[in-house]
Amino acid sequence: MTIKVTKLADHRSLFRRSLFAFIMMSMSLMMGANAGHAAEGKQVTLTGEVMDTWCYVSQIMGPSEAVVGTTHHVCAVWCAAGGIPVGLVDKSDGKIYMILSFAGDDTSVANQKLLDLQSHELTVSGSTFELDGINYISVDEVVEDNGIVNLTHETFGILPPEARP
Amino acid sequence: MNIKCSTRNCFKKGMLTGSLLAVLAFLAGCATPAGEVESWGVSGQQESAFTGKVVDVMCELTGNCAANCGEGSRQLALLTPDQGTVLMAKNVTLYSGAAEELWAFCGQDVEVNGLFTENKNVRFFQVQNVRIPGGQWKRANQFHQAWAARSGESGSKAQRWYRNDERVDEILKRDGRLGLGAAADAEYFK
Repeated sequence: MTIKVTKLADHRSLFRRSLFAFIMMSMSLMMGANAGHAAEGKQVTLTGEVMDTWCYVSQIMGPSEAVVGTTHHVCAVWCAAGGIPVGLVDKSDGKIYMILSFAGDDTSVANQKLLDLQSHELTVSGSTFELDGINYISVDEVVEDNGIVNLTHETFGILPPEARP
Repeated sequence: MNIKCSTRNCFKKGMLTGSLLAVLAFLAGCATPAGEVESWGVSGQQESAFTGKVVDVMCELTGNCAANCGEGSRQLALLTPDQGTVLMAKNVTLYSGAAEELWAFCGQDVEVNGLFTENKNVRFFQVQNVRIPGGQWKRANQFHQAWAARSGESGSKAQRWYRNDERVDEILKRDGRLGLGAAADAEYFK
């Protein structure tokens, strides 16, 4: 008799645990569907220039080397204000990171802080991610702002010409 | 007739030509009927049309999601069955991105056409037209209307929004066109 009661209690306990596990799994799947492929980023500190990714990648205004720094500063501000992804090109290896968030601000379209820092060389800490061939960075903190140091206008002039006064 | 030029001058002439082509591509784009794709002469250009779900990149990567994909405040991508996540970097209006064209379709499947561009190990997409699968094509130039609504300016000013944007004006007045301050500008542009 005692054994039967214990078995019944075991079955109830097993049922409750299974139900709990099912509910937790369902909630997890629902959150996953909303959150996509949530992944851990890689913690980094890197130095690079804040730049306009469209003109750099497409080369529509000229070679990539000519559409950074002072030559392209006005256009970089225009493009950032227009919502084109702002990037950080790593000084050490030339890798381009699309900036997803900046110093606690999740706005990645026309972010005022990024408009203000266009063409600046920054050292930042944050998390990097890779998704289907594109590198992204979520910047936690600006460690150092060296200002605009890429004086490309001395070689390439101003691009595009309509950026001149 | 002397047609020779120095390397620097040739480069500058090349840049001028490139910039003019960019403007011409834009002007051609203004007249392009909805649904059609025009060439912009971009690096690694590849015309393409595909269908995918509109997703917020930040949400996909980190689980940090916002209502309606941020309603134009976040970079967006299309999650496709065969190409993975394709970043939507550009639309067809000058100096503006694709978020304004797509956020209203957050979480929905849309069909897009336009151009891939590729360089420096980065490949992303310029969306030229958008539609719900099977529906009417819509030109990806909604940025102008959104900018006009935000700024309270007229449609004609919105065509050259970048010359009429208060935030842009403030930055250029403060930092100069080179970004090095008013004195550097005065010296260079004299």
